[in-house]
Amino acid sequence: MIGLAEFWAASPIWRDPLLASLLAGALLGFLGVYVVLRRVVFVSAALTQLSTLGVIVALLVLERLELETEHQEIQLVVAWLFSVGGGLALGTLRWGRRLPSEAGVGMAYVLAGALVILGANRLIHVAHDLNTMIFGNAVAVPFQDVVILAGVTLVVAVLHTLFQKEIVFASFDRETAEAMGVRAPLWSGLLYFTIGLAIPVAAHAVGALPVFAFLTIPAAAALVLTRRLRLAFGTATALGAIAAGGGYLLSWFLQTPTGATMVALGGLLFAASWLARAVRA
Amino acid sequence: MEPLIRLEEVAIGYGRRPLLAGVSLAVAPDDFLAVVGPNGGGKTTLLRTLLGTLPPLAGARRTTGAVTVGYVPQRDHVDGLWPLSTGDVVVMGRVPSLGPWRRVAAGDVAAARAALARVGLPDLWRRPFGTLSGGQRQRTLIARALAAEPRLLALDEPTNGMDPAAELSAMDLLRDLHRTGRLAVVMVSHRLEAVANYARTLAFVDKDQALWRVGSLAEMLRPEGLSRLYGQEVEVHEEEGRRFVYPVAGKEPP
Repeated sequence: MIGLAEFWAASPIWRDPLLASLLAGALLGFLGVYVVLRRVVFVSAALTQLSTLGVIVALLVLERLELETEHQEIQLVVAWLFSVGGGLALGTLRWGRRLPSEAGVGMAYVLAGALVILGANRLIHVAHDLNTMIFGNAVAVPFQDVVILAGVTLVVAVLHTLFQKEIVFASFDRETAEAMGVRAPLWSGLLYFTIGLAIPVAAHAVGALPVFAFLTIPAAAALVLTRRLRLAFGTATALGAIAAGGGYLLSWFLQTPTGATMVALGGLLFAASWLARAVRA
Repeated sequence: MEPLIRLEEVAIGYGRRPLLAGVSLAVAPDDFLAVVGPNGGGKTTLLRTLLGTLPPLAGARRTTGAVTVGYVPQRDHVDGLWPLSTGDVVVMGRVPSLGPWRRVAAGDVAAARAALARVGLPDLWRRPFGTLSGGQRQRTLIARALAAEPRLLALDEPTNGMDPAAELSAMDLLRDLHRTGRLAVVMVSHRLEAVANYARTLAFVDKDQALWRVGSLAEMLRPEGLSRLYGQEVEVHEEEGRRFVYPVAGKEPP
């Protein structure tokens, strides 16, 4: 276990990753309220896979063109294209009356997963870096990634502040929203756009497993704790930041895998919320 | 009186497959139209076409000016999981008129509170929506529709799953809103009896029989027309000012 003095001495190393973890946890915690309430938890898993596939595709193209595979901006842009495109398709397209939308989500998840494995299998030159590129490495996050994450958080915050009433109406009761003249597909599309925007940057910073976890656990805990939507958004944002930031710090002290520690702490927070609700009832 | 909405020789359906063709219908500003038919008969598809959320596959839908619609979905379609108060749900009715750039103001909250009072639930403003009884939820959804200050109130199976007392109470509320609110009412129901004492215009729809008929209540409640809808002979009795629809056991339609 690492001591406090040693930890403070290493602050230049952990400052940026901690900031990235806090931002990613807060951002995903907020968006997770919609993910949980709209009952589309597995859409976020599928989008994380699609984002990963985007990185693999970018790497394959760069390698084919014999360019440097270190171009992280290109990887991020392609990951965004896959994630946002997937979000818009899975979230807003209707699959007709013969198939439930879950079928599309399931297919996207497994097909993207299979293509990631097939693509990664061909990327032998970057095999040693692939894990970090795809699944993130919260231990060492460059400042540039923190800036991008902060930018995405700002964009999401602005869009959700401006259009919250439309997004909530379209998410809560799409049928009525449409019948009364609210363009529900547009607002649902905007929601999925922001989720698709957040996933690749967050996955790159903290990893795929924490992304899926933070889109689910903080919101679930917040919804156990409160019966007001605004409070649920605030609580989920705070719990996401606590799970991510706290998990990061715990992993430093306990020398445990960072992403898994974040998720485990999120699980503990959920259990505590459940307990608090039971005691209060 | 110029109709609010008109369907002219419309074909309704999803994708490219029409469920029913040749549907013509006009909803007047003071109408109370009930669309009746069996489950899966095309009633909701017709309602969506009428409201413009589903484009007609053929024919034309016309409106007179901008028609503000208040819509009440089937109660079970609204998720009680959301941590919303009754007031939060009713205020949503103001969203269409506000547009994307304006925030909910004190005037909108006042209009929503007034709508909740109109349906008889003024004290439930802060109550979590998910904890309301079925009847209270239905009234809350009607209040949300009224908060939009609509010219047309459209309801999809508003009395579905209600006990007789709650059904009567909900239908009386709709009748009062129609009479005092100067708004057209269009409702869909699979139970003729639920609407036979309230509607002014009645429409029968059943895609499986390629059945589409619309007319005044008196005209449509003639036994021969009802028999075709139900596939057996039907009688209408009036007791203490209320109509009751009875199937005549063992008799085929004439």
